[in-house]
Amino acid sequence: MDREVLVVGLNHRTAPVSVRESLAFTDDRIDEINRQLCTLGGVDEAAVVSTCNRVEVIACASDGDRMQARILDVLRGARPDGADDLQNLLYVHRDREAVRHVFRVAASLDSMVVGEPQILGQLKDFYARAASVGSTGTVLHRCFHKAFSVAKRVRTETAIAARAVSVGSAAVELAARIFDRFEDKTAMLIGAGEMGELAARQLVAAGIGQLMVTNRTFDRAVEVAREFGGTPVPFDHFARYLPMADIVIGATAAAGFVLTKDGIQAALRERMGRPMFCIDVSVPRNFDPQINNVDNVYLYDVDDLSEVAEENLEERLREAGKAEKIVLAEVESFWRWFSQLDVVPTIVALREKVERVRQSELERVLAELGPIGASEREALERMTSSIVNKILHAPITRLKQHDRRDELFFVDAVRSVFSLDDSDDS
Amino acid sequence: MGLLFFSSGLVLYLFATAAFVTHLMGEREAARRIAIGSLFVGFALSTAGLLARATEVISLRLPHDQLALLAWFLVAVYLLLQMRYRLAVVGALVSPLAFLLTLSAYVTYSGGSDLSGSLASAWLPAHVAPAFLGYAILVVASCVSVLYLLQERQLKSKRASGLSRRMPSLETLDTLNYRCVAWGFALFTIGILTGSILAKVAWGTFWSWEPVQILSVLAWLLYALLLQTRSIGWRGRRAATLTLAGFVLLVVSFLSLNLGLTHGSGLG
Repeated sequence: MDREVLVVGLNHRTAPVSVRESLAFTDDRIDEINRQLCTLGGVDEAAVVSTCNRVEVIACASDGDRMQARILDVLRGARPDGADDLQNLLYVHRDREAVRHVFRVAASLDSMVVGEPQILGQLKDFYARAASVGSTGTVLHRCFHKAFSVAKRVRTETAIAARAVSVGSAAVELAARIFDRFEDKTAMLIGAGEMGELAARQLVAAGIGQLMVTNRTFDRAVEVAREFGGTPVPFDHFARYLPMADIVIGATAAAGFVLTKDGIQAALRERMGRPMFCIDVSVPRNFDPQINNVDNVYLYDVDDLSEVAEENLEERLREAGKAEKIVLAEVESFWRWFSQLDVVPTIVALREKVERVRQSELERVLAELGPIGASEREALERMTSSIVNKILHAPITRLKQHDRRDELFFVDAVRSVFSLDDSDDS
Repeated sequence: MGLLFFSSGLVLYLFATAAFVTHLMGEREAARRIAIGSLFVGFALSTAGLLARATEVISLRLPHDQLALLAWFLVAVYLLLQMRYRLAVVGALVSPLAFLLTLSAYVTYSGGSDLSGSLASAWLPAHVAPAFLGYAILVVASCVSVLYLLQERQLKSKRASGLSRRMPSLETLDTLNYRCVAWGFALFTIGILTGSILAKVAWGTFWSWEPVQILSVLAWLLYALLLQTRSIGWRGRRAATLTLAGFVLLVVSFLSLNLGLTHGSGLG
């Protein structure tokens, strides 16, 4: 029985966000599609994955062409405007390529931001959805579980996610090179621009001890402070609180410098020279660039941070090369299992294995018995053959009964019970 | 026998250096473990070497024994610190230093023993132990200062990639520097006091304007200044620079001791 693994879908590279939006399915709809696909003739297993960056159907089918056409129908039917521009936006992967695609998605190699960690969790959720309506079977179970373990390997064996690739997380990464720990540190957010809030959120997530928020409109400062569990500080007096701040984030819309060299020097004197990290995320800049020349003060503006993030991204892409190698090796291992996952080769392997056992045992006994007559020898041969055949009869008959849904389950069970895949690593 | 231990220890120090550098270049965890492991084994061998030598004679006036002892203290201090702080980068500076010190010890080895009768006093170990341990700790402080200056420059110039990522934070380095200088200073002080008593016992005078004495006192003053000014905000880069200045004085005083600038009296 020919059987194919197939991926049909579109992602952030092939389709614009307007199309991806129109295909963003609700959970109920996903369950429905999963069921619907499996009722088609020739489709054994299917799982829909639908995130904001991708919509894909991963399937195992005996008739790949037909499957592909049906998936296309389903996707087309899902679009409210009925626009028919999908054909050019879709990609289709088959066989090894399909498995490789699933592994790459799980390992976050196909993500918009390579190495971002969310996709693995999303994939697990969609796999669980499909499993809960029974649309996954032996092949997809194995494929998904393999994909999860590939993702884990990539995460532990490469530094793909070790670097901060956003401006906010780059700021935290740099802060960690100035400060040993964050629990006993205080940050001050000046202004309430969006970038400033992002940076503050990252710092709070990294465990910063205290956060002061100041803003020209005090109400806004109170609001933001409440959101982050910080303390609002009146804008006119923020200089008075500045010496308490180990990290200062500038995010006002002011045209001039909010923080000057003199201001920071005064704060530093009061701090006994303890270092300060100044993060200027506003354009035009809030902090006088001269600040960076003050001893024990480190100033990074938004360009500096972007540069760090950019560099980290390049490093990620280098690590991605290592990850691709891991993926390829795992695809091969999956494929060895998959290509043997059929009735005929399994029966052949089973017979061969048992015959080997029979032969070697027979030889051992014959050697122990010493010289015996041809007829005795023939009797022994007959007896052992007949034992083996009688024992094998039931499993082989069961394997030959063609019930598509169960077939692979039994094939896989027999292969594993009789350990027919010696090189298998599961 | 002792020499065999020394030479194998020497090889391991060199190997540890290579492993540390490998670790720093590529974030390889295995290399870090190998580096610390070989440093540890090298240390054990040096200990055996020193013990073997001590059964014959340990002449603290001979450059060989001084250098070997200093290397031993240095590695001991680092290994202790490593248990608490996990500072592979410091190891990358300490192990080549340990290698060079042990190598010099090996090269200058003469096998003799000429402890002049006047110095054979109970005050000798009382002087040497704290002074050398103090030296070793101050050398580690200097390594930490070098790292501080490197990390500081990278962060200031915004080229904060690669190596900077694998170095400890400025705060860690600064704190470590302060602690090392404080401990090193305390032991150094004891060393100077017992040293002058030793001089009194041996030659009848506490102070004889020997280069080693002058330089040691200068270094002592510098470290005292360093510890005092911290409370008025001289930390970070300034503290690191002062630590290195103190290191230079220490090296010169150590050399003056061994290059014959100090006549007769010996020993810093």
